[in-house]
Formats: sequence, structure tokens, C-alpha cells
Amino acid sequence: MFNKLAVCGAALLFAGAAFGGEDLLTFSLNCNNGVFAPKVLQVPAGKKFKLEIHNVGTEAIEFESKQLRKEKALSPGGKSFVVIYPLEPGEYKYFDDFHVSVGQGSIVAK
Amino acid sequence: MQNFTQILFVMWRETVEAMLVVGILYAWLSHNPAGARGLKYLWGGVLAGLAGAFLLGLGIDAMNDALSEEEHAYFMAGMLLAAAILIVQMVFWMRRNGQRLKRDMEQTLSVNAQTENWWGVFSLAAIAVAREGSETVVFLSSLAMGSNGFASAQFWLALGLGAVLAGATFALLQLGGKLVSWRAFFRVTEVLLLLLACSLLMSGIEKLIDVQLLPVIVAQVWDTTGLLDDGSVLGSLVSSFTGYRARPALLNLIVFVAYWLAIRWMMRLSRRPTAAA
Repeated sequence: MFNKLAVCGAALLFAGAAFGGEDLLTFSLNCNNGVFAPKVLQVPAGKKFKLEIHNVGTEAIEFESKQLRKEKALSPGGKSFVVIYPLEPGEYKYFDDFHVSVGQGSIVAK
Repeated sequence: MQNFTQILFVMWRETVEAMLVVGILYAWLSHNPAGARGLKYLWGGVLAGLAGAFLLGLGIDAMNDALSEEEHAYFMAGMLLAAAILIVQMVFWMRRNGQRLKRDMEQTLSVNAQTENWWGVFSLAAIAVAREGSETVVFLSSLAMGSNGFASAQFWLALGLGAVLAGATFALLQLGGKLVSWRAFFRVTEVLLLLLACSLLMSGIEKLIDVQLLPVIVAQVWDTTGLLDDGSVLGSLVSSFTGYRARPALLNLIVFVAYWLAIRWMMRLSRRPTAAA
């Protein structure tokens, strides 16, 4: 009985490691007609991470950052993500290309 | 609600790049009777581009879900690099053949060589229109989803503005061609297109840097944000049309210099356009 449990347990652990895969650190960014929340996003430097962008406004937005080399258009209600490879410490600005005058947000890697 | 200025700015910015390419190609092809066949390919390309813009624009959410980060980057980089190469090819083709009379061209260029170039015209027009057009479609469709749907005043305003601005850019280019000598016009438009190709090349390699297919070598060589911030309104325009980067990676600089050196070298090799118009 004990042996069977041990084997099952070990099998589950191995399965978890094999299929769970690498768990990417995920951050969330909301954009409402050009206004980003949070305005400044803190992330760890040197770690690859996923940035989920959610258009919670009534108009299309385009998440764009020259420094991060990202461009992503999202229709209202649209949700998508970008993968950001390990960053050097520093501040990386981004903006909404469809609402340029509204202002920029930034990602700070420490 | 987006105000008039914001809508105007987005519509202008989105249409001007595509209209620059289409307008310049139209001026070049209609300058000389041998280009007449090419015009059909140009309009065909524009139509194909519009269809592509609708598909990409309306399917943006589906595309975001279906493609992985790498696939998305390869697709975009592919389009950008193809457009850059096509522009350079077109510029040099015009330098060689722009002055030839119809009979002369038909004698020296085989039908295949001519047709090959026309398909280049088609492809370039299609990519230029599809690329900018798809963003315009996303932008427009969200305006249409306003309180009155397609009856929304903002949607029609934006659509109207887009058409007017595109038409104005096109007309201005043709007018410019008539006001100055052909040689001057060709020189200026040639430079405009080569600058644009540089910008597309930069954007293309940046997509590949982003998914780590290419190395930055040095992440940031300098920071001229103080001089011209490429995130600002003016800066982003300069950036789109010339490839300017306020914080360039070393690879950006290497590609930039290599591109212009290659262009200069190719120009030395090709025959210069003659003064007679």
C-alpha cells in the first residue's frame, strides 16, 4: 500500500516537472483609452517575464515601446501578452500609440 | 472619447507611409510610357493590401491568440524586411530603366524581367498598404463600436479624414512631380524611399532582436532622448520615416551604417539617370 502511494507520488512529481514547464513570471497592465494602470511597473532585472496587457477602455490602443521593441494593437476588451526577455536594470518607457498625447508609462527593472 | 486632434493625427500617420510608397511609385510609373503596364500591378497591389489590411485588422485578436511570440515576430520581421528589399530593388530598377523609351525597354528587357519587376511593384504596394492599413482598421473598428455603432460620428469623421489625407498626400506628390524637373523629383523621392526602407529594416531587425534571434551586442550605445525623444509626437514620426533611434543598440548602428554603405556602393555601380526628361 505504502509502496503504491510512494510510486504514485513520485510519478505525479515527475509529471508536474515535465508538463508544468517553466512558470513565467507574469505582470498585468491595464490600459484605459491611453491611461495605463499601474503607471510604473516594478519588475526584477535579469528575469524573463510575461506582460499581460488588457484593454479595459472603449477605444483601441496600441501598446508601444521603442526601448522594449514592442508593438501590440488591442481592440476594446482585447487581452494579449508580450514576452519580455531579461532586462538590464533601468527604466523602460512605453506609450499608447493611439493616444500619444495622454502620456507614457514605464517599467522599472531592479 | 477621442478628440478631433487625436483622430486626425493617428489617421494621418497611418496613411502617410503607405501613400508615400504608392504615390511615388505611381509618379515613377506614369512618367514614362513603358511603365503603363506596371500601373495595373500597382493598383492590384493596393487592392490586395486593402484586403490584407481588413483581414489582419479585424483578425487582430485571433492573431494575438493564435501566434506565439516568436511566430508573431518572424511574421512581422518578414514583412518589414521584404518591404525594405523591395523598395531598394525598385529604386535601382528605376535608376537603370526610368529613362528608357518603351521600345528601347522592350528590346533590352525580356518580358520576364519586366514582369518580375511589376510583381515587385505589386508586392511592395500590397505590403505597404496592408501594414499601415491593418492598424488603421483596428483603430477605425473600435470607433465604430461606440454608442451608435457604425453610425458613430467619430467613425465617419476618421474614415473621411483618412481618405482626404491619403488623397492629399497622393495629390501633393503628383503635383511635386509636375512642378520641379524630373531629375530633381526623382532624386528627392528616391531619397525618401531609401530613408523609409532604412526605417523598415531597423524595425525588422528589432523584432528579431526582441525574440533573441539577433544579439544587441551593446544594449544602448547612446541616449539622445534629450535631443529628440523617439517616443514623442515629432520623434516617433522621424523614427518611422528615417530609422532614427534615441537609444540605439550597437546592432542598430551597425545595420544602419552597413545599409547606407551598401546603397552608396550600389549607386556607384548603377548608371545614373540622364538629365533629359
